[in-house]
Amino acid sequence: MNELGGSGNANGAQLRLRNLTKVFGATKAVDEISLDVPTGTFLSLLGPSGSGKTTTLNLIAGFLTPDSGDILMDERSIADVPPHKRNIGMVFQSYSLFPHMTVSENVGFPLRMRTSLSREASRHRIAEMLALVQLSHLASRYPRQLSGGQQQRVAMARALVSHPRLLLMDEPLGALDKKLREQMQVEIKRIHRSVGTTVIYVTHDQSEALTMSDVVVVMHQARIAQIGTPRALYEAPANLFVADFLGDSNLLPARVIAVSGDRVQVELANGEIIRAARGTFAGAAGDRIIVLVRPEDMSVRVSREQGNGLNLLTGTVKEISYHGDTFKLDVAVGEQSLKAKVARGEGAGIELGRAVFLTWKFEVAKILRPQDESNDSLAVAGGEQ
Amino acid sequence: MTAVAEPAARAAPRLSALSAVRLLPALLLLPCLLWISFFFLLPLALMCWRSLASDGFAFETYSVVFTSPLYTKVMWTTVKTASIATLGALILAYPIAYVLTVGGAKLRALILIFVLIPYWVDIIVRSFSWLILLGDNGLINKILMASGLIGSPLHLLYNPVSVLLAMVQILLPLTTVTLFGAMLRIDRTLIAAAKIHGASGWQAFRTVFFPLSLPGVYGAGLLVFVLALGFYVTPALLGSPRETMVAQTIMVEASQLLDWPQASAAGAVLLVITTSLAWIYNRYFSLDRLWGGSNT
Repeated sequence: MNELGGSGNANGAQLRLRNLTKVFGATKAVDEISLDVPTGTFLSLLGPSGSGKTTTLNLIAGFLTPDSGDILMDERSIADVPPHKRNIGMVFQSYSLFPHMTVSENVGFPLRMRTSLSREASRHRIAEMLALVQLSHLASRYPRQLSGGQQQRVAMARALVSHPRLLLMDEPLGALDKKLREQMQVEIKRIHRSVGTTVIYVTHDQSEALTMSDVVVVMHQARIAQIGTPRALYEAPANLFVADFLGDSNLLPARVIAVSGDRVQVELANGEIIRAARGTFAGAAGDRIIVLVRPEDMSVRVSREQGNGLNLLTGTVKEISYHGDTFKLDVAVGEQSLKAKVARGEGAGIELGRAVFLTWKFEVAKILRPQDESNDSLAVAGGEQ
Repeated sequence: MTAVAEPAARAAPRLSALSAVRLLPALLLLPCLLWISFFFLLPLALMCWRSLASDGFAFETYSVVFTSPLYTKVMWTTVKTASIATLGALILAYPIAYVLTVGGAKLRALILIFVLIPYWVDIIVRSFSWLILLGDNGLINKILMASGLIGSPLHLLYNPVSVLLAMVQILLPLTTVTLFGAMLRIDRTLIAAAKIHGASGWQAFRTVFFPLSLPGVYGAGLLVFVLALGFYVTPALLGSPRETMVAQTIMVEASQLLDWPQASAAGAVLLVITTSLAWIYNRYFSLDRLWGGSNT
C-alpha cells in the first residue's frame, strides 16, 4: 500500500491544510487553519502554549479528527485515514520509546508493522538508521539505559526507518539541557537534509524555530498569526503579536504626522518626533500606530552623534546586564523604558544612571497597526503601554 | 580553646535536628507497630512455638503436614483450586480493567460502581447467594424445570465447579481494581507511538499494551492467589468434603479435634508458602509498583 523498500531517500510529501477546525467543548483549539507545505520543507509551528500548535499536529497525525476542514497529503485527503495507514513518522515530546524493547527493536517496529521486509533487509535498514543517528553501538540496550539525548536519537531513527514522506516532531528537544539541545538542532537539520522528508516541527522555543526552519508558522489563539521565512518574520512582523513573540522588541505607541515617500514621521507619546520606514503602511496622518525597534538595532552613545537618517532619543540608563558577548540595557526615555542590546565594546563605557543617546537608522523602525484586523485581542499583546 | 569549642557547639544543634528528622518516621510508625506486635506478631510467634512444642520439642507436626495423606490431598486441592480461581479471575478481570483504562470518564465511573458494589458485600453473603442460584430448588433449576428442559433438578452444588464459580466471583473485584491500577500506569502515548508507526489498534495492543501490562497481571495474580489459598467460608458452604481446602482443615484441627500444635503447624506452612510467593514476586517485579511506587 505504500512505496517503501526503495534504498534511496524518500522525498517529502506535500501537505495541505484546508480550513482545518477542531473544537473542544466551547473552545476552538484550531480555528480555520489553511496551510500549504511544499515537499521537503522544514516547517515549524511556533506559538505559546494553548495556541493550537499541538492540536494541529495531532490532527495531521490522525490522533484527532477535525470538526471541519480537510488535510491533503500529496493531493489526497487523509482526514478519514486512521493514523497507522498514514505513513507518517513521529517524534514525541517524551520520546515514547517502547520500554520493553531494545533500541533495535524500537527502531525496527515500524518495519515490522508496515512492511514485509525480510529479516535480513530489516536488519540492514535498522543498522543504516542507527548509523544515521550515530547509535550503532547501543543497538541492544533498553531505552532506560540511555541518556535523554540518546533516547531522542532512537526516537528519530524509529520515526524515519520506514522512509515516511512526512515527519512530525512534537517539541522533541524540550526535555534536553541547552547545550544538548543546540547539538541536536544541528543533528536534526543534518538528518533532514540527508533524508529529504517533509518535517512539521512543533515548538514554543522561538530561537529553535528560527534556526532550524525553512518556514515558520506563528500561531496565536488557534489561528495563524503569520507565515514566513525566519528572516521575514523577524524583520517584517505582520502584527504586534508576532513582533512581540519573536525576539525582544521595543513597541512604541505613536501617532502619524506625515507620510512622505518611504518614510513616515510619527510623534511618540512624550512628544518626540521620529521617523520610521513606511513598509506596507497605507494609513494617513493622524493614525495611531506602534513603532517597532529591535533592541539590537539601537546604538547607545554617551556623546551626541549626528547623522542623516538617524533617529535620536535621550534617556537614562536604568539597568545593565552582562551577557558575555553583549550588554542588555534598559534606558528610561520619558515615561517609556526602552531596551537596547549593544556589543561588548560599545557597552563597556556605559554606567548605571548615566544620560545616554539612543540612535537608530530610520529604516529599522517598523510600523505596526495597534489592532490587527483579523484579531482584536492582539492589541494588548504589546509590551510597553 | 574556644576555637575548638565553637564548631562543636555549632554542630550540636544540627545533629539534634538530624536525629529529629530520623525519629519522626519512627514516631509516626510506632502506634501501628505496637498494634501489629501485640495482636499479630506475638500470636504468630506463639503459633509457631506451639507447632513445635507439642511433646517436648519436635518437628513431628510438620512431618504430618508434609506426609500424611490427608494433608497432602488437602494441600493439593487448595493449590489447585486457588490456581484455577486466580486464572479465571484474571481472564475475566483483564477486559474489564482494559475498558476501565481506555474508556471515558462516565463509562469508567459506571463500571467501577458495578465492580465495587459486590466488593463491599460480605463474602458469606456472596457465597450464600450462590446457594440460592445453584440449589436443587434454586433459581437455575426452577427455570430449567419450568421450561421443560429437564425433568428432575440438576445437582449443581457441592462440587468443584460451584466452589470455583463463587471464588472467581468473590475475587473478581480485587483482581479488576489491581489490574486497573497497574494499567493506568502504562503511558498511553506509547499506544499513539505504536499507531503512528504502523500498528493497527489490535497490533498496538498485542505488541505494546499487553506486554507492558504483564507485570501488573503477575502482581494481581499473586495477590489474588494468596487470598484464594486462605478461602474458608466458600468451599465450606458450596463444596463437598472432597473440595476441602487447608483453612477448613486447620479450623477442624483447632476447634473440633483441639489439636492446636497440628493446626499451628499447618498454619505456619501456609504462611511460609504465601510469604515466599510474595518474596519471589518482589525479587523479580518489585511489589511497590502495584501500589504506584517506582517505575521499571
